[in-house]
Amino acid sequence: MARLILTWISLLILQSYLIPIAFGSKEVEEFSEALLLKPLPDRKVLAHFHFENRAPPSNSHGRHHHLFPKAISQLVQKFRVKEMELSFTQGRWNHEQWGGFDPLSSMNAKPVGVELWAVFDVPHSEVDTSWKNLTHALSGLFCASINFLESSTSYATPTWGFGPNSDKLRYGSLPREAVCTENLTPWLKLLPCRDKDGISALMNRPSVYRGFYHSQRLHLSTVESGQEGLASGIVLEQTLTVVLQPETLFVGTNIQPTWSINSLFGRKVVGRCVLAKSSNVYLQMEGLSGHESKNMDTEMEAHELWKNADFELSLKPDRILREINSFLFIFDIDISSDSEPFDLGLTWKLPVKWSCQQAPLHASRFLMGSGNERGAIAILLKATDSQDKLSGSDLTNGCCTLKANIFQIFPWYIKVYYHTLQIFVDQQEKTGMEVLKKINVSPSTDKMSSGMMEMMLELPCQVKSAAISIEYDKGFLHIDEYPPDANQGFDIPSALISFPDHHASLDFKEELSKSPLFSKLKEKSLVRSYTEVLLVPLTTPDFSMPYNVITITCTVFALYFGSLLNVLRRRIGEEERFLKSQGKKTGGLKKMLSRLVAKIRGRPIEEPSSSTESPEARSSVFSSKLFFKFILVAGAAAAWQYFSTDK
Amino acid sequence: MEEISDHLNPTSDTSGLMPEFDPKTMRSSKPGLKRLFITTTVLFSFLLGLPFLWKTVEIYRSPLPFHDIDSLSNQIESTPLRFPCSFHAVFVGFQSTDPDKLRSEIQDGIKQLTQPSSQCGSCDFSLSVTVQNPDDHCSETLTSDPSMCSYRCGVIKRNVFGAGSDVAVDESLADVFSGCSGHGGKMYSVVVVNEENANGEDEVKAVVGKRRHAWIVGSGLEERYGDVVARVSEIFVKVFMNGGMEEGSIHGEFMPVGSDGRIVLSFSLLNSNPRDWIYDWDFQRIDEALLAPVTKALAPIANISVESQVLYHTPKSSFSSWDEKIQSYIFKTSDLPFFVNSNEWHLDTSAGASGRSKILQFVVYIPSGKECPLHLQLPNGEISKTNGFISPMWGGVIVWNPGNCENDSERPSRNTISPQDLERIVEVFLGQFRQLFGFKSEAIYTSGLGSYKILPSERGFTEWELDVLSRKHTCFNLHSCSTTLGSLSRLVQSLPRMIIKDEIGEQVKYSMKAAKLAQSNASTGGYSSSASSSREARSLAENAFFHPSIMSVSYFSYEHCFAVYSPFFLPVVGHVVLAALREWKRYKQEKAKYSTWLARKKTA
Repeated sequence: MARLILTWISLLILQSYLIPIAFGSKEVEEFSEALLLKPLPDRKVLAHFHFENRAPPSNSHGRHHHLFPKAISQLVQKFRVKEMELSFTQGRWNHEQWGGFDPLSSMNAKPVGVELWAVFDVPHSEVDTSWKNLTHALSGLFCASINFLESSTSYATPTWGFGPNSDKLRYGSLPREAVCTENLTPWLKLLPCRDKDGISALMNRPSVYRGFYHSQRLHLSTVESGQEGLASGIVLEQTLTVVLQPETLFVGTNIQPTWSINSLFGRKVVGRCVLAKSSNVYLQMEGLSGHESKNMDTEMEAHELWKNADFELSLKPDRILREINSFLFIFDIDISSDSEPFDLGLTWKLPVKWSCQQAPLHASRFLMGSGNERGAIAILLKATDSQDKLSGSDLTNGCCTLKANIFQIFPWYIKVYYHTLQIFVDQQEKTGMEVLKKINVSPSTDKMSSGMMEMMLELPCQVKSAAISIEYDKGFLHIDEYPPDANQGFDIPSALISFPDHHASLDFKEELSKSPLFSKLKEKSLVRSYTEVLLVPLTTPDFSMPYNVITITCTVFALYFGSLLNVLRRRIGEEERFLKSQGKKTGGLKKMLSRLVAKIRGRPIEEPSSSTESPEARSSVFSSKLFFKFILVAGAAAAWQYFSTDK
Repeated sequence: MEEISDHLNPTSDTSGLMPEFDPKTMRSSKPGLKRLFITTTVLFSFLLGLPFLWKTVEIYRSPLPFHDIDSLSNQIESTPLRFPCSFHAVFVGFQSTDPDKLRSEIQDGIKQLTQPSSQCGSCDFSLSVTVQNPDDHCSETLTSDPSMCSYRCGVIKRNVFGAGSDVAVDESLADVFSGCSGHGGKMYSVVVVNEENANGEDEVKAVVGKRRHAWIVGSGLEERYGDVVARVSEIFVKVFMNGGMEEGSIHGEFMPVGSDGRIVLSFSLLNSNPRDWIYDWDFQRIDEALLAPVTKALAPIANISVESQVLYHTPKSSFSSWDEKIQSYIFKTSDLPFFVNSNEWHLDTSAGASGRSKILQFVVYIPSGKECPLHLQLPNGEISKTNGFISPMWGGVIVWNPGNCENDSERPSRNTISPQDLERIVEVFLGQFRQLFGFKSEAIYTSGLGSYKILPSERGFTEWELDVLSRKHTCFNLHSCSTTLGSLSRLVQSLPRMIIKDEIGEQVKYSMKAAKLAQSNASTGGYSSSASSSREARSLAENAFFHPSIMSVSYFSYEHCFAVYSPFFLPVVGHVVLAALREWKRYKQEKAKYSTWLARKKTA
C-alpha cells in the first residue's frame, strides 16, 4: 500500500457477451437470523442466537458468492466435507435446571472446550488426510488450536454410538481449549452483517462472556442437489447459546428477576440485518400449562397470555404459539428503527416456580482410586423425575426397557482394562448379558491411537440408578510428550450419553412460516447429554533429570578412569624410598605445612614427613603447579570462548 | 610427587667401584618405558577416539552446491538475460532506397535507444529490411538467419492501408506474416507505407496491432526519411522490446505473480452501508464472458483463478468532503492511503489459495447514502474518469456510484448492477490489471516523435505485450530464484548447527537445473518453455527456502555439547594429558641421568 496510483483509463473496447437474464429465475443464497430467549427456573435467562445461511446447489461454490461466506464454501469444496460441526464451549450445561429433554439442550449443550466432528465425502483411504487438513484449516480460520486434533491419538472413528451413522465420520475434542473473543470474532465474520447490524449486534463481548454458559457452534451440511452435474448446496448453521444472570434489585424475594434485552446485553436491537430473509425474536415460557390451558381461543385470552397476573411483556407479540407445556411468543423486528429500538422486557409479578423437562437419566462421571499408578472411571446414571421416561421406551416381551448409548474416548495414556467393566443396576452388579445390549471397543495403541468405547445399555424402566466402572493404568509419556503445564494433569474428554429411543421436539400445533430456528425446534432431535471432563494427574518426571544423569555418570566415569590411570603409573618402591629419605630431615616450614594439610584432611600427622629439599624449591614447585593449573583453566576458557562465538 | 623424587638406584652395588656416582644426577640402569608406553597409548587412543565422537554429535547437512549458487547469481547479475528477437522492417512504396543503408541506420537507432537500458529481459535482435518500390519490386537485406521466412514480395498493397479500418489492416498483416513466427524467437515487423499523395494530408499515422505488427502510413515519407527511420527504431525498442512501459513506472521486480506461479483474482463488491441500498452482481457471467479470455491469454505466465464475494457494512476508513461545484463528495488523492479499511474489509480469501499464491484484491466500493456520489480527485483538481486507483502488489479499488443517490424509502432497495455497468467496471479492472503488470492502461503511446495508436485486444493483452511479459517474467523469476538461493546459501553457511534435509538439497539441485534450462531456452528463443522452467526454478527455490525443516536449528548446540561432555572429558583429559606429560618429562630426566652416568663411566 505504499504507492497508490490513480488510474486514468481510456476504456478498452470489450466485446459484450453479456446476455441479461433476470435474476429472479434462479435460486439465491439466503440468510436468516433469530434469537430465542427463555427464562430458566434458577433465575437465569437463556439466549440462543441462531443464524442460518443457505447456498443453493451451484457449480460456482468456493468461487462466486453473494451472502454465503466464501471461506466456508472453499473449505467444503477443498476437503469434501459432507457434514461438520464445530463447537466452542465454556462452562457446563446444568441439565437439572436448564433442561435436558428439549431440542435446545440436546443440540446446544456441548462439552467444555472444542468439539469437532465431520463426515467426509471421500474414499475411505483419504478420510484421515482430509480430517488432518480440515483441522489445520479450521484452526487458522477460528484462531484456535484445533490443529491438535490432527494427531491420530486425539481423534476417533465412532461407529454407532455417536449419532450420525457413517464410516467416514471422525470425532475429536479438546477439553482444555480456552474459548474467548478471538474465537467469536472470526465466527461473526462469517455472518453477512457481522455484529454491525441486526440481532448479532447484541453480542456485547463483556456481557456474553460474563454468562454462566457460553457455547458457540457452527454446523454445516451439504444438501444433495439431485441434479446431474450440479454440485450440492450448503447449509451453514451458526448458533450461540449463552446463559446469563439478569441483574436483580430485590435479592431474596422469590419473584423471578425482571429483565429486558437491554439489561441482559447492554444493547438494544436497532433493526434487523437488512440482508436477512427473516429476523425474529422468540420468547419461550415454560411451565405455564397448568395456568392457561383451559381455553384461550378468543382474542381476549390471547391478550391475557402476555399481560397477566404472573408476568407482563413490554411488547405485544406478533404471534403466540402453544405447545404441550410451553408458550412461544414471536416478535418480528422489522419495524424497529434507530428511533424506536426493539427492547423486549419481561416483568414478573408473582413468584412462579416451574421445572424443566429432564432427560430420562442424569449422567455424571468421576474418578476412583488414588495414586499415580492406577485408577477407575465410573459413570453414574441416575433416574430423574421425568414424566417422559416411558414415552420413548419400548415394551419388548412385556417388560419396559430404556436404552442408553454411552460413547467415550480414552487417550492412550489411560490404559483401560476392558475386562474390568462392571455394571451396577440399582446397586446390584449385573453381568454383561443382562443389560449390555451392544458394545464396541477399539483399544488404544501406545502413542498411535486413542481408545474408544461405545456401548448400548438396556435398562429396566424402573431403574433408580445405574453405574459403570472400568479400571485403568496410567501410562508413561515420553519426556517430549508432556504439555507445558504437565503438573496440572491430563483431561479425559467428556463421555456422551444419548438415548436412542428418545427424541426431543417442540410440538406446536399451529403451522408457521419456515423460519429456520422454528423448524429446528420442531425437528426431532436425539436426547443427549455430555458428562464432565475428568482431570487425571499423571506422574510427571523431573524434567532436568537427563542432565543430572549425564553429569553423574560422567563424573563417576571420570573418577574411575583417573584413578585407574594413576594406579597404573604408580611407582610404589620409589615412593617408599622417598618417604624414608624424607623422614631424615624436617624443615620448620615444611612441618607447619604438613600439619596444616593434615588438619585440613582430618588425619593424624604422618610423622616422618619432611622434604629433602629446601623450602624455596618446594615453593617453586608449588608455583609451577599453580601456574600449570592456571594455564589449563585459561586454555579451557579460551577454547570455550572460541567455540561459543563462531564467526 | 614423582618429579621431586630422586631416583635411588636399587642396584647400588657399583657405588663402591665408582666413587663419583651421584645418585641425584645419575643412574646406572636404563630408564624403563612401561609407564610411558601406557600413558601415551591412552592419550593416543583418546585422540583417535575424538573423530568418532565428533562424528556422533554431528548433525546431518545435505551438501548444497554453494559454489554453483554463487556462480549462478553472479552470472545473472553480470550478464542480463537476453532473448533473440527478429525485427523486420518493410518499406512499401519507396523508390530509391538501399535496404542495407536503411538497415544500418535503423540498427544505429535501435542501439542508441537501447544503450542506457541493457536491462534483463530485453532483446538480442536481428534486423532485416525489405524495400518494395511502387512497382512491387523488392530488394532486401541478406538475412543472417536462414530459417526466417522471407516476406513475399508484393503481397502488401498500398491501398489496403488507406481504406480499411485498423483492425482489418491488422488482420490482413497477420495473414501476410503468418507462418513467420516460431523460428528462433518471435518476429516483429513494422510496415512503412509511403502513400501516393492522395488527399494532400501531411499526417503520419502510426498504429501498433494486436499481434506483432505495426505500421506507419503517410504520404511523402520518402522525403522525411530520417524521421521515418527514427520512428521505426522507436517502435522496435520502446514498444516491441519494452512493451511501452515508462521508465520509473512499476518495475519488473514487482511482478504480481505468486512464487508457485499462481494468481488469485479476488473480486469483492463492498456495500458500505446496506441500510441505504444493497447492490449485487452476477459475477459468474462476467467471469465466464470477460475474464476467461484474459486468464487464458495469461496462462503461460501465471495460473489465474477468479473468485468473487459481496461484503456488507464496509465503510472506508477516511472521510470525504462535499464539493458544491460538482455536487458530489470528493476524496483527494493524498488521502488514498487511508481509503482501504483493513479492519472492516474482510477481503481475505482462505482455502482457495495455497500458501504462496499471489492474491490480487479488486474491490468495487459502493458508497453509503451519506457520501453519495463519491468521486476521486486527481492532484490537478480534475475528477478521475475511472474513479479508481491501484496499489501495486495489492490490487485495485473502484468507486462505483449508484445511479440515483436519493433513497427515500424506509427499506433499503435491493438492486443488481446492470450488465452494462458491470462491463464498464470490468474494463476499468482490466486497465488496473494491466497497470499492475506495468503496462499502460491507455491505448496510445506517446513519445517525442509522435504518438502511436495501440490496438487493444479483447483478451486484455496483445501478443507482443504477452511476449514482453513472458520475457520480463522469466527474468524476474530467474532473478528471484538466484536471490532466494543466494540467501539460502548464506543462511546455511552462517548457521553451522542447522539441520539440512536431503529434500532441501534436492530442491536446490532441481531449482539450479531448471534455472540453467530456462537460461538455455531463453537463448534459443523458447519463450513459453523458458517462462515455465524459470517459474519452476523460482518455485523450487522458494520451496527449499521455506521448507518446514529449514529453521530446525539443532538444539544440540555447542553449548549443550560442552555441558554434556565436559563432566567426563575435562577431568579425564586432565588426567591423561598430565600423566603422559609427566611420564615423558621423567623419562627424559632419567635418560639424561643415565647418559651422564654412561659418560662418567666412559671417562672413568
